[in-house]
Amino acid sequence: MTTRRSLLLGLGGALALAEAVCPARAAPPAVLDWRGPHQAGIATPPTPFAIFAAFDLLAQDRADLREALRLLSDEIATQTVPGPIPQGDDPLMPPPDNGLLGEGRAGQRLSVTVSLGASVFDDRFGLAARRPRELTAMERFPNDAIDPDLAHGDLMLQISADTREAVLHALRAIVRRTGRVLVPRWQIEGFLPARPAAPAEATPRNMLGFKDGTSNIDRDDAAAMDRLVWVPPGSEPAWTAGGSYQVVRLIRNLVERWDRTQLAAQEAIMGRHRLSGAPLGKTEEHDTPDMALLPDKAHIRLANPRQPESAANLILRRGYNYARGLDRAGRMDMGLIFVSYQASLDAGFRAVQARLNGEPLEEYVKPFGGGYFFALPGLGSQDHLGQTLLD
Amino acid sequence: MRAFSQMMALALMAAGAAAPAWADPIAVSVGDKGCEPMQLTVPAGKVQFMITNASSRVLEWEILEGVMIVAEQEKILPGFVQRLNVTLKAGEYAMTCGLLSNPKGVIRVTGAEVTGALDPMALVGPVAEYKVWVKAEADALVAATASFTEAVKAGDVARARALYAPARVSYERIEPIAELFSDLDASMDARADDWELREKDPGFSGFHKLEYDLFATGDVTGSGPAADRLLADARDLQGRILGLTLPPAVVVGGAAALIEEVAGSKISGEEDRYSHTDLSDFAANIEGAQKIVTLLNPLIAPRDADLLARISASLAEVTAVLDSYRLGDAYKPYTDLTEADRRALEARIAALAEDLALVPGLLGLQAS
Repeated sequence: MTTRRSLLLGLGGALALAEAVCPARAAPPAVLDWRGPHQAGIATPPTPFAIFAAFDLLAQDRADLREALRLLSDEIATQTVPGPIPQGDDPLMPPPDNGLLGEGRAGQRLSVTVSLGASVFDDRFGLAARRPRELTAMERFPNDAIDPDLAHGDLMLQISADTREAVLHALRAIVRRTGRVLVPRWQIEGFLPARPAAPAEATPRNMLGFKDGTSNIDRDDAAAMDRLVWVPPGSEPAWTAGGSYQVVRLIRNLVERWDRTQLAAQEAIMGRHRLSGAPLGKTEEHDTPDMALLPDKAHIRLANPRQPESAANLILRRGYNYARGLDRAGRMDMGLIFVSYQASLDAGFRAVQARLNGEPLEEYVKPFGGGYFFALPGLGSQDHLGQTLLD
Repeated sequence: MRAFSQMMALALMAAGAAAPAWADPIAVSVGDKGCEPMQLTVPAGKVQFMITNASSRVLEWEILEGVMIVAEQEKILPGFVQRLNVTLKAGEYAMTCGLLSNPKGVIRVTGAEVTGALDPMALVGPVAEYKVWVKAEADALVAATASFTEAVKAGDVARARALYAPARVSYERIEPIAELFSDLDASMDARADDWELREKDPGFSGFHKLEYDLFATGDVTGSGPAADRLLADARDLQGRILGLTLPPAVVVGGAAALIEEVAGSKISGEEDRYSHTDLSDFAANIEGAQKIVTLLNPLIAPRDADLLARISASLAEVTAVLDSYRLGDAYKPYTDLTEADRRALEARIAALAEDLALVPGLLGLQAS
């Protein structure tokens, strides 16, 4: 165990070295720290590509689960730092790496965020008493049509990076390494604009053509993050402090129909002007919405009524767009991978969704997958992610 | 007022490529003594004027209807050209030509094109007539559902199977209205995919639950509660429709909504996956859309005769295709259609959806 810990620390040293060698590297850094109190991939800025990969545990007991989390921690330590990729020296053997990145990894702001589903806290591992209090399997909401093949799971990996290759390289390496204990359940790939074309486009647009995330929690505001995103010590099982409830919802957008909808109706449904992103009746994206100018069921009013009592319902959104070809009726299948992190599932996502149920936007969107998970606290002084849960 | 019109002008420019197609610009040159030409004849609708200031003073150019300013272009510097976009109804207008002492020019706007917001009273008749029709369909729905559920409860599978598609027809015809009551819609018309445990989910009820029992398992011994609930829901819907004030935007937008129903869930054969009676639903949606288009005909025709012609032709074409699949009072099973048949229907439906989506805006209504 000490060996493994030294190994992780050693790689930390390699990271320091890599940064020292490239002092001219422009911000943001290519390597994200996951050794602090929180995992990377939550408070770190969204990267242009991500994959959400849910797994089921083949593990039979707690030792197997520990093995899975150790392997994952090991892989994260390896994959997230720049370095040469072993090529193998025996052509009669399968190569040790999948080869997608050639000779070496360049960092690429890769993060692998590990979360656990409620099913981990059943009787398999004796962890029922340690279940985060609000973590359950995702319940059904009125507009949902959840495909069980694209929902839930024991474990969720959010792998995000600057390039699609870096994401898929890491995913394949991890799946190969952990195959004995983790079986893939479902996956979906997401994307965001690679780089804002203009300052006015700094907020990414969703597949409905609207800016999405204008009034997000400021992830650089440590006090807000502590209050709204990170589970504080005390109220939950001790091991959860520094972790966060993660909600993943796969939401199809019925884009053909949306594209044939009059602009005024689109804007009334969302509560924002499409081009500028400004709240209805305002001119600038970041203008404070005037509730008197918004329809009663406008999406932004329901999502965030901006009342004193709704301040506790703010969530950190970190969603991605997806596009995956055609459905059986020949319609384009694209939409949103809604992702949110919050200190409380009840005060966060559940409260927001309760207000959104029945909103006019439902005519154009269909949630079809996803799940609730709990993002583990960062590595900190643990030997591997999730150690304090298992010890 | 000025700031507003400038904002509008900016908004029009910003609309760029997405802006509506303006006809060729009408050139007007304003000199020190007057306009060139002094008389213009333009067709009704969207007109773009290209105003050249050929005078030696800063120019303000206005289109007047009596004493009302219909549109204006401010501060055109000498030697500069500015464009002004305006929508004009048929009639005679004046245009200013520089100095107030200069004679005014005349703009004659010809043609029957009517644009912009409709006189709200114009919709009262069609909406009232539509409501009468919707009520009759709701009554028919209750009667057909009663026969259907009675057969289910009697355990008469063959008879219940035959009554399944007819029971849905009225519901499908008035779907945009029925869907105003989302609780009933979920209870009556939810599909198994809306539930995570699919057909085995305890929440699965309504038409498709009974369809499943009748066509997939053939076992209706446990279908009684779902049948009772469906009939109760149909009666509830009938009562709620009676007390409903139909929003004109829902009625006008209803034609497009019905076609979206077809495009969204019927084309794939997902709607009636156990009975394969999709074509019956499909035809009922088209009939519902046809009803609305027929009622709105007199309002659409003067505003965009081409659009109405396209919509009518598409509806007729789709109806003809559906008729070719008729088998007596019913339709062929949807599974009899080839992939090519489905694709052909899909393309026609998509074109119809695009055209019907223009109707609310044409009538100056914001769809809800």
